[in-house]
Amino acid sequence: MNTTPLWASETFWKKTAIWVTAVSFLLLIVLTFDSMAKVSAGSTARVPAYSVINKKIDYRLNAKLNRYVPVVESDAPLFGKTLSDEEAEKLVTLGKKTFQAKNCINCHTILGNGAYYAPDLTKSWLDPNWVDETNRETLMLAFLQDPAGNARSYGTGRRMPDLGITEDEARGLIAFLKWTAAIDTNGFPHNFKTLYAQENQ
Amino acid sequence: MIEPVALDDFFVNVFSAATIILAGASYAALLAWGKLTRRPGFLILAYVSYGVLAVSVWLLAETSHFEGFWRIIAGLMLIGYFAAPQAIWRLCTVTHAGEHSEHDRPIINQQQEGEQS
Amino acid sequence: MSVGVLDSRNLNGGQKLAVKYFIVAMVLFVAQILFGLLAAVQFLAPGFLFETLDFSVNRMLHINAMIVWMLYGFIGAVYWFLEEESGVEIVGLKLGEIAFWVLTAAVGVVVLVYLFLQIGAGDDTTRWLINEGREYIEAPRWADIGIVAVMLVFFYNVAGTFSKGRWSGVSGVLTLDLVALVGLYLAGMFYTTNVTVDHYWWWWVVHLWVEATWEVLVGCIMAWSLMKLLGARRKIVQTWLYIEVALMFGSGILGLGHHYFWIGTPEYWFPIGGFFSALEPIPLVAMVVHSIYDAGVHKFKSTNHPALGWVIAHTFGNFFGAGVWGFMHTLPQINLYTHGTQWTASHGHLSFFGAYATINIAFFYLAVQQWRGNVWMGANLADNGWKWKWSMVLLNLGVVGMTVALLIAGYEQSFIERAIEGSTWSGYFAAQTHPWFTQAMFWRLIFGIVTAVGLVLLIWDLATIGARETRPALVIERPEEPGIKAAVVETA
Repeated sequence: MNTTPLWASETFWKKTAIWVTAVSFLLLIVLTFDSMAKVSAGSTARVPAYSVINKKIDYRLNAKLNRYVPVVESDAPLFGKTLSDEEAEKLVTLGKKTFQAKNCINCHTILGNGAYYAPDLTKSWLDPNWVDETNRETLMLAFLQDPAGNARSYGTGRRMPDLGITEDEARGLIAFLKWTAAIDTNGFPHNFKTLYAQENQ
Repeated sequence: MIEPVALDDFFVNVFSAATIILAGASYAALLAWGKLTRRPGFLILAYVSYGVLAVSVWLLAETSHFEGFWRIIAGLMLIGYFAAPQAIWRLCTVTHAGEHSEHDRPIINQQQEGEQS
Repeated sequence: MSVGVLDSRNLNGGQKLAVKYFIVAMVLFVAQILFGLLAAVQFLAPGFLFETLDFSVNRMLHINAMIVWMLYGFIGAVYWFLEEESGVEIVGLKLGEIAFWVLTAAVGVVVLVYLFLQIGAGDDTTRWLINEGREYIEAPRWADIGIVAVMLVFFYNVAGTFSKGRWSGVSGVLTLDLVALVGLYLAGMFYTTNVTVDHYWWWWVVHLWVEATWEVLVGCIMAWSLMKLLGARRKIVQTWLYIEVALMFGSGILGLGHHYFWIGTPEYWFPIGGFFSALEPIPLVAMVVHSIYDAGVHKFKSTNHPALGWVIAHTFGNFFGAGVWGFMHTLPQINLYTHGTQWTASHGHLSFFGAYATINIAFFYLAVQQWRGNVWMGANLADNGWKWKWSMVLLNLGVVGMTVALLIAGYEQSFIERAIEGSTWSGYFAAQTHPWFTQAMFWRLIFGIVTAVGLVLLIWDLATIGARETRPALVIERPEEPGIKAAVVETA
């Protein structure tokens, strides 16, 4: 097989495979370092510090970016109590651990990933379903602890099962969801109008 | 950065994206089959497929509001999806050359080498 | 050696271990379909098994069973050809045997915990002992560690056996790919509160497994099968394996970017994800072209018709499921609407079946043939081979039917929920109650049942094919028919 041209030879493609893989992976590593620096909580506006749960969160159209971006406004402490950075992180952590322990992701999606049996939770804190902010926390607490009793299935018959969520866990979950709502997700989900937007219109 | 697809263009957008891949594959398949059987009819059909692909790329680019960098991607798709099947075909003939005497691709006078690892 | 009788004397050491893996794989395949059906029913009748076996549990078991049965199939296939490819006996067969039982016991325990405990309190214990609660990699941490340990034993057997015997292109690619496979799993084995960071690394495991390392692993299995069964020439097969590795990794590694559009990561992932997504169909097209080449140039004498049939299903399924269905909704301009809808489920069903289930089933047929003393599996099978033909038709029809139904549901969802209603909860439910959606869910269940019937036939066929057959398999005397993806069945 001496006449096989170089570009069709086994050794050529072996080397190509190795180089292509190595270069791609190296690029991925570099990009990963960069992304990690930009998405650690509080490092940039993309992923806010956990203490954002002390603030009012809303979305506004950014004409330059052509999408809605989160805006963190006046003080609006969760459950009426301003938390330190550590306390906020602790509460959000309890929520995230509960989110995993209750297997939420196998019915819901968050950041669009998960199952498609129940609504996306990325911006659930801001969903117009809560009507306005006056009763939102109370409604959320009640719903999480007794989902069947407070079921809202909008005619689908789908209900959330009782997952034995304690009051502390429910508070944690709400903190986690409030913090998640402040993540800049490049405009996902599209065209979402917060409960404030509906008020302002 | 990106301008999402408009509601009215939904179907065209999705359909053109699927068509790009389907037409790309049928272009590649017809090209290979045409060259293999030396029947120009298949080659003509292959280039017709590529034409469908090109139109689909244009539709996708329009409905996706491609601007700036995204236009370059559309251009690369036009070039890449044209060239890749040709290159793959060449690779097939050259890597397989030398194993058979009875079939085509006269690049190499074949030798039956024994299979050994 | 008696032809037509299941006899372990027909198998070498690695192959005896391999058939154990294959049997568990089939059991898990049944579990996958069973829990999939339960979940499909719940879309139509939400009260079904409510608070007993909720959708979340069924859906988790449906997908986990699939992932694990595919891995069992891959591991089994590698053990199957390890001794022949290396030329020596497996270095740690006993250890491999123990690892198999440990893994299987662990899988059993995890399934029981999923079924009966399901969830726990919002603390670290739950994640370690019950459920990690991250999609696809829900296995609790103790099981993660067990899986890694078992994979290391597997890796030791592969690398050790090739080192003792001989290396080749196939074994080299395989070994490096396994390093990547195990290494990537570690990227999913930590807790973080930051959900963006969580999903970032989670995609490393999920995407780099199924769109990169699994594809290459299947490429190795395929390469060996084609040399063995069609007498394909090693030099050509290996050249093409390298070409596929270059194309797969070249497009697939940075193709990861198309999962980083909406999770809080920077905007530069838009162009990266878009560009590499446009590259990802090329390796699949390369396979199609090569199949045509082989089909046209060579007259295959296939020794195993069912296996070859499933290899063909693999080429098409991989192309449509991963290529067409993937590219259709991958660019951010459209993905903004389709991400997180049934569209993804549609793509998932066709691509996993097309790319991985098919190739495993093909290998099961090869294994059964050898297990029965290299029995005839060419043309003119007993009863005209109706069982394998019909199971193949029903399985493919069922999966394609589900895929189309889910596509319609996903299309409707993107349209109503996202584009019109602005992605609120009421928008979500408006889409879920739309007639297009509910009818699609009905048809998905119907085609799910078709799939289940196909599976029953498949099991029946695998258990009986070649029994009472007296003809030995067709012998391919000389390696004269090369090719990477075979595409023509010729009656001998």
